[in-house]
Amino acid sequence: MATSWPKKRRLIGSKIQRLDGPAKATGKAKYSYDINRNGMLHAMLLRSPHAHAKIKSLDTSDAEKMPGVKAVHPIKKAGDELFWAGEEILGLAADTEEHAADALRAVKIEYEVLPHLVKEEDALKKDPETAPPVRGKRTNVQQAAEGASKDFEKGMADAAVTVEGTYGVPTINHQCLESHGLVAEWDKNGGLTVWASTQAVAGTAGSLAQHFAIPANKVKCITHYMGGGFGSKFGPDIQGIVAAELAKKAQAPVKLMLDRASEIIAGGARPSAYGKVKVGATKEGKVTAYEVDCYGTAGIQGSQTVTFQALPYVYPFEFKRKHTSIRTNAQMQRAMRAPNHPQNCALTEFILDDLAAKLEMDPMQLRLKNLPQNDPNAVKNAPHSLAALRHTIYTEEIQIAADLSKWKAKWHPPGKTPGVIKHGIGMALHTWGGQAAQRNECTIIITADGSVTARTSTQDLGTGQRTVTALVTAEILGLEPEQIILEFGESPNGASTGSGGSTTIPSQAPATLRAATAARDELFAKIAPKLDTKAENLSIERGKVVDKSGKSWDWKKACAALDGEQVKATGFWSFAESVKPENKDVSGSGVGGVQIAEVLVDTETGVVRCTQIVAVQDCGLVVNPLTCESQVAGGVIMGLNYALFEERIMDRVTGRQVNPDMEFYKLGGIEDMPKIIVHLHDMPERGVIGVGEPPVISTHAAIGNAIFNALGVRVPHTPFSPERVLAALAAKGV
Amino acid sequence: MSELREHYDPDRRDAGPTDRRDAGPTGLSRRDFLRTSGAAATAVALVEAPAALAEAAPATIGAKAVGPQAVKLTLDVNNAAMTTTVEPRVTLLDALRNYLDVTGCKRVCDRGTCGACTVMVDGKPVYSCTMLALEAEGKKIKTAESLIDGGKLDAVPAAFAKHDAQQCGFCTPGFVVAMRAAFDKNPNATPAEIEEALSGNICRCGTYQQMRDAIASLCKNNSRKGG
Repeated sequence: MATSWPKKRRLIGSKIQRLDGPAKATGKAKYSYDINRNGMLHAMLLRSPHAHAKIKSLDTSDAEKMPGVKAVHPIKKAGDELFWAGEEILGLAADTEEHAADALRAVKIEYEVLPHLVKEEDALKKDPETAPPVRGKRTNVQQAAEGASKDFEKGMADAAVTVEGTYGVPTINHQCLESHGLVAEWDKNGGLTVWASTQAVAGTAGSLAQHFAIPANKVKCITHYMGGGFGSKFGPDIQGIVAAELAKKAQAPVKLMLDRASEIIAGGARPSAYGKVKVGATKEGKVTAYEVDCYGTAGIQGSQTVTFQALPYVYPFEFKRKHTSIRTNAQMQRAMRAPNHPQNCALTEFILDDLAAKLEMDPMQLRLKNLPQNDPNAVKNAPHSLAALRHTIYTEEIQIAADLSKWKAKWHPPGKTPGVIKHGIGMALHTWGGQAAQRNECTIIITADGSVTARTSTQDLGTGQRTVTALVTAEILGLEPEQIILEFGESPNGASTGSGGSTTIPSQAPATLRAATAARDELFAKIAPKLDTKAENLSIERGKVVDKSGKSWDWKKACAALDGEQVKATGFWSFAESVKPENKDVSGSGVGGVQIAEVLVDTETGVVRCTQIVAVQDCGLVVNPLTCESQVAGGVIMGLNYALFEERIMDRVTGRQVNPDMEFYKLGGIEDMPKIIVHLHDMPERGVIGVGEPPVISTHAAIGNAIFNALGVRVPHTPFSPERVLAALAAKGV
Repeated sequence: MSELREHYDPDRRDAGPTDRRDAGPTGLSRRDFLRTSGAAATAVALVEAPAALAEAAPATIGAKAVGPQAVKLTLDVNNAAMTTTVEPRVTLLDALRNYLDVTGCKRVCDRGTCGACTVMVDGKPVYSCTMLALEAEGKKIKTAESLIDGGKLDAVPAAFAKHDAQQCGFCTPGFVVAMRAAFDKNPNATPAEIEEALSGNICRCGTYQQMRDAIASLCKNNSRKGG
C-alpha cells in the first residue's frame, strides 16, 4: 500500500514541546549512569599509561584480595603489546567505587616501554614504525589515496590566477557528558539486561548476544535517556563487554561507566586533516581547478580522515587530490557528527576566501559563480533529489543567509576595518545525506479505554525523536502528543538501527506514520459494526471518530466499542521502502546548508569573539520545528567550539594526552555564545530528512573566513586560539 | 563582583561570594588564599598561646578525626533525612548518587569544572563533586529533583522545557539548579547576571541559544546591562 503524509497537517510542522522536558530538567529522567540496582557492584578498567609498550608481567593476586573485590576480568596478558595510552588491560568489580579504585592500584604490572608516535607530522620526516603489524608491516604512514579528474591539468593551465594555502583541523574529542558505559545484570535463566549509554539500542543487544553466544532474545538493552554520543556510541564497546563479563563472574549487577579522563582518551576522537591546497581561477572568479594534498590521523587505525570522494567539497571543480593516513599511537577514531565533512569543508572553503581576496571579489559572489548546477537527468527522474535541486537550494539559502546577516552592508574587503578590534564576516556551505536506514519498526496499540501506546526500540539521544513519534501518532489518530504513551529505547520493542548518519527521523517517522495509519484502519474495522456503520465511512477529526452520515463519537467512546479487544499494528520503514515509486517523498535524502558568521578579533590579544551566526538549513519536511531549530543551533554551537576551543593536545615525550579533562580541553559556556539565527528552509515536498549532523559542518569554516575578513590574514588551523591568531599576524608582519 | 559556583572550601564556613576572575586553578581566589594562609599562620603562632586558640580558630580545634573506615552519614536531602554509611573520602556527589540513589546531580568532569553536579547547599550553588559528604551533614541540600513538587513544576525547569533549552539533558539539572539559586539570590537579576551565574556550567549539545530564551522569559528585568 502506498504511504504518504496527510495533506492537511494539524501537528506536523508546528512547534511541539519536548515531552520529556520536565523529567530531564528536574533530574527525574534516569540515564544509564543513574541506574542503581540492588547489590550492584562498581567496575573500573586498568589502562595503559604508555603510548606503546609490552606487558612484561601482570599480577592481580594482591588486587583480588583487596577489600570488596568480587571479580577480575583480564583483557590483556603478559607478553601482549599495547598501542596507545589508555588501551584497556583489565577490568575489576568491587562493592564500592572507592574499593574498585584501591584495587586497581594494587595490580602489579611491569611494562617494557617502546617507541611511539603521537604527532602525525613527525611521521612525514621518518616513519617510526610503531603501529600494529598489518601483513608484517608496522608502518605508520599508510599508502596515499590519489586521484584526479580528466581535465584537471587543463583547468590549472587555463587559470588566470592561482592561490595556495595550508589549512587544517586537529584531532578533537567527542566529550560526551554522560560517559560511555553500561549496567549489566544477568537473570537466573541466563538472560542479560543492560542499561547502556548507546546510540544503538538494538545493535548493542545484538552485539552482546553475539559475544556471549546466546540467543538474541536473551539480551535486553534499555536506553531511556542518553547523555550525548555524537557518533561515538554504537555498541557495547570493550567496557560494556567487560561489565557483562564481570557481572557474570560475580553473579551480581555491575556498573561500568568511564571516568572523565577515560571518556576522553578512549571514548572518542575525530580525526585530524591538514593539507596544502591550490586553486586556479579565471579573472571573473570561476574556479578552473582545485588541488589538495592532505594527511591526518585516525589514531591507531589507518582509515581516511577526509571523505576522499567528496574533495573538493560541495563545488564541482576539476580536481587533483591526495590523502595520506598516518597511524599514530592513540585511540582509534570514532564517527563524529557528519564524519569527515568538517575536514572536507575546511580544506575547500578557506581557500575560496583567499582566492576571492586575490581577485578583490566578494566571496559570496565567488561562491554563487561556482555552485554545482542542477543535474538535468535528476530533474527529469528524481525532481526532489538534491542532485536535481542543489543549485536552487544553495542559491536560495545564500540569499536568505545574506538577508538575515545583512551581508551586503557588513561585508568589507579583508583587513580593511580601522582600529585594534577588527570586525569580520565570513561564510561557508555544507551538504549531508540524512536518508532512511535499514528496517525500523514502530508499533501502535489502542486499547478499549482509549489509551494509545507507541512502542519502538529506537533511542532518543536528545534529538526529540520521542516527541516526533508522539506527534506523528497523534496527528493520524486526532489526539494530542502528550496523550500518547511512549515505550522507547528497549531492544525487544522491534527493529531499529543506530542513530548515525542523521537517519533516525527519516527511518522512524514513516514507520510511525504507517503503524498509526494501520492502527486507525484496524480500529475502524473493529468498531464499525458496533457503531452500525462501515469502516470506509469512518474518519478521524481532532478528538473524535466521524461517520460519513455526520454522526461522531469522541475518541474514548469510539474506542470503547472495541469491547475489550485491542488494536495493535506495526509499521516499518527502510531505505528500500523509501525509494519505491509508490512511497516517494515520504522520506528523502540530501541537504544543503549555508552559514554566515561574524567575529570581532582583538589584534593585540588575539582573542576572537564570535558575535553572530546565521544558519540556513533545509531538511525536507520539518516535523517539529521547535526541536529541529534546537538541533541546528546545537550544531552551530558545536561547530563554534571546533572553531575556537577544541583540540586534543598530545605530549610528544610521554605519548599521552595532556588535556583529558574539561578545563584544558575547552568548550564554550553561555557567555561565549554569539547570537544564533536559525532559518529552517522548509521543503515539505521532499519528505522527512535527518538534520542531526549537517549544521555542525560549516560553522568553523564560516568563522575562519570571518577571521580572515577581519584581519586580511589567514589563520590556517583550528582552533583559532589567541596564540594562533597572534602567530598568524606575526608571520605576516602585521 | 560576580557570583559563582563554589569549589567548596572547608576553611570558609561562611562561604561568601568569590570573584571568579580572581580564582586560580585551585578555584581559590587570591583573597581566599591569603585568608586561609593567614589563618594557618595564626594557628601556628597560637600553639604557644593555647588559651587564645579556642577562641581564634574554633573550627580547627573542634575538628574530630573520622575514618578511614566507613562512617554513618545522615544528610538532609530535599527536606528528607537520608542515612547511609560512607568512607570519609566520598564526595557529596558520590554519596548522593551511589549511596542514596539521588541521581539528578550528574557526574561528568568530577573535578569542579563543568557544573553538572551542582546542588544547593544551604541555598548556595555548590559543585557537589568538590565537597565531602561528611561536610554536608547538618546542611540543607537541594537537588534538581526538589524543583518538582507533586505535579507542580518550578518556574525555572518549566522555562527550560517550554523554550527547549535542553537536548540530551545530562547537563540540564546542573544548569537548572544554578539558575534557581541565582534567582533566589536576586529575583531582579538581569539576563547578563543570570548568564554569569551559569558560567560555571558546560553544555555539549549546544542549548545555550534556547537557554537565553528561557532566561529572557524568567527575568523581570530584561535589560542586557548589569552583572
